[in-house]
Amino acid sequence: MIRLDITGRSPIYEQLCREICGEIARGLLVENDRLPAARVLAKDLGINPNTVAKAYGMLERDGIIYSVSGIGCFVSKEKAGAYRWLTEDFRRKTREAFGAGVPKEALLQILEEECGGENSPQTQGVKDDD
Amino acid sequence: MIEIKNVTMDFIGKAVGEPRKILRALEDISIRIPDGCVYGFLGSNGAGKSTLMRLMCGVYRTQSGSITIDGSEVWDNPEAKANIFFVNDETVQYSDFTLEALAKYFASYYDNFSFETFHRLIGTLGLPNDRKMGTFSKGMKRQSVVAAALSCGTKYIVMDEAFDGLDPAMRKMLKDIIVDEMIDRNATLIVSSHNVAEINELCDRAMLLHQGKLVFDDEIDNIRSGVSKVQVARRSGPVTKEEFEGLGLSVLQYSVMGSVVQTVVKGVGEEITQKLEGLSADFVEMVPLTLEEVFIYELEARGYGYESLAEN
Repeated sequence: MIRLDITGRSPIYEQLCREICGEIARGLLVENDRLPAARVLAKDLGINPNTVAKAYGMLERDGIIYSVSGIGCFVSKEKAGAYRWLTEDFRRKTREAFGAGVPKEALLQILEEECGGENSPQTQGVKDDD
Repeated sequence: MIEIKNVTMDFIGKAVGEPRKILRALEDISIRIPDGCVYGFLGSNGAGKSTLMRLMCGVYRTQSGSITIDGSEVWDNPEAKANIFFVNDETVQYSDFTLEALAKYFASYYDNFSFETFHRLIGTLGLPNDRKMGTFSKGMKRQSVVAAALSCGTKYIVMDEAFDGLDPAMRKMLKDIIVDEMIDRNATLIVSSHNVAEINELCDRAMLLHQGKLVFDDEIDNIRSGVSKVQVARRSGPVTKEEFEGLGLSVLQYSVMGSVVQTVVKGVGEEITQKLEGLSADFVEMVPLTLEEVFIYELEARGYGYESLAEN
């Protein structure tokens, strides 16, 4: 499900890109799945169709989706672009923390703790939160 | 495209017991409204939004400057006016009309008026066809005029306080209809609203008016990324406003707490970061603004808002 924070700080098209990338990373959208038409998504989300078109344009530029003219937009095979969108904040925060003096070992330890050295929970079923 | 060039508009005002004086409603306004977009008019109360809309639709005549629709002057030009519909925030003039009469009235002005679309819309909206509009609620009157606007098939639709008096379900329906109009007919909508969040979700571009002057006119995403809230900490002493200005930054707001400064400056994110490097600060954090914050800070910088009200 796509959720937007209309009054939020990041531009709506960026939020939309991230949400779609999230669906792709979770495996809810897979290769060759068709994305909703701009009209449909704009109405669902209560936003301007040009904003949807802008988000689709960005995703296409990054190779995350491809468009077939007159038919619509489809999810590409390659997921690297989607991961890049989803880890942008993480990368920035890491840079900030490192810049503020947090040693590399401490950052790696967080990674180790959060990811447990395992595959992402998305690829092995439901994650147990404790 | 609608092109507004150097438009200035004065009204003659006369208060009781006082001599006549000139009230400047608009001063040297120039904007372009491209086709196929939703363009938002933002502004403080009395900023001149409605005046500009009336000029664009040929209700008022321009005193200086020009307003053209697809290249033709709009004033006294039926051909240009046939392409534009104005949803006025006043509906009292239709009080004696039934919806059928309203449809016939607009059909006499707009050759492309579609009774079919009109009947479909008032059916969807559940509006009564046999009652005079004077008996309608504020929301129903507004819905009626919007239904008429969409039935005229004009390329441009101008809506003053578009969503005023509509309940959330009706707002949603109106937005859906706008989406269809844009995609099916490449229609261009110009809307004014006090609800900044609504402008943010609906519009591609927007402009801000204040006391008759243009503050900005740009794509929404550029407007938001053009102003940033910055927090700068420096142990050797807070960065002064003059230091920021010395770096070529335009400061909209500035406040100090200990060695930490919070400020709102104009400029694009990376540009600001680069400029701030010269300050030898210990900590710099930057957050983009919401459209609402841009609105408030831009007007505060012009002496409008809570603080200036409190002083008087």
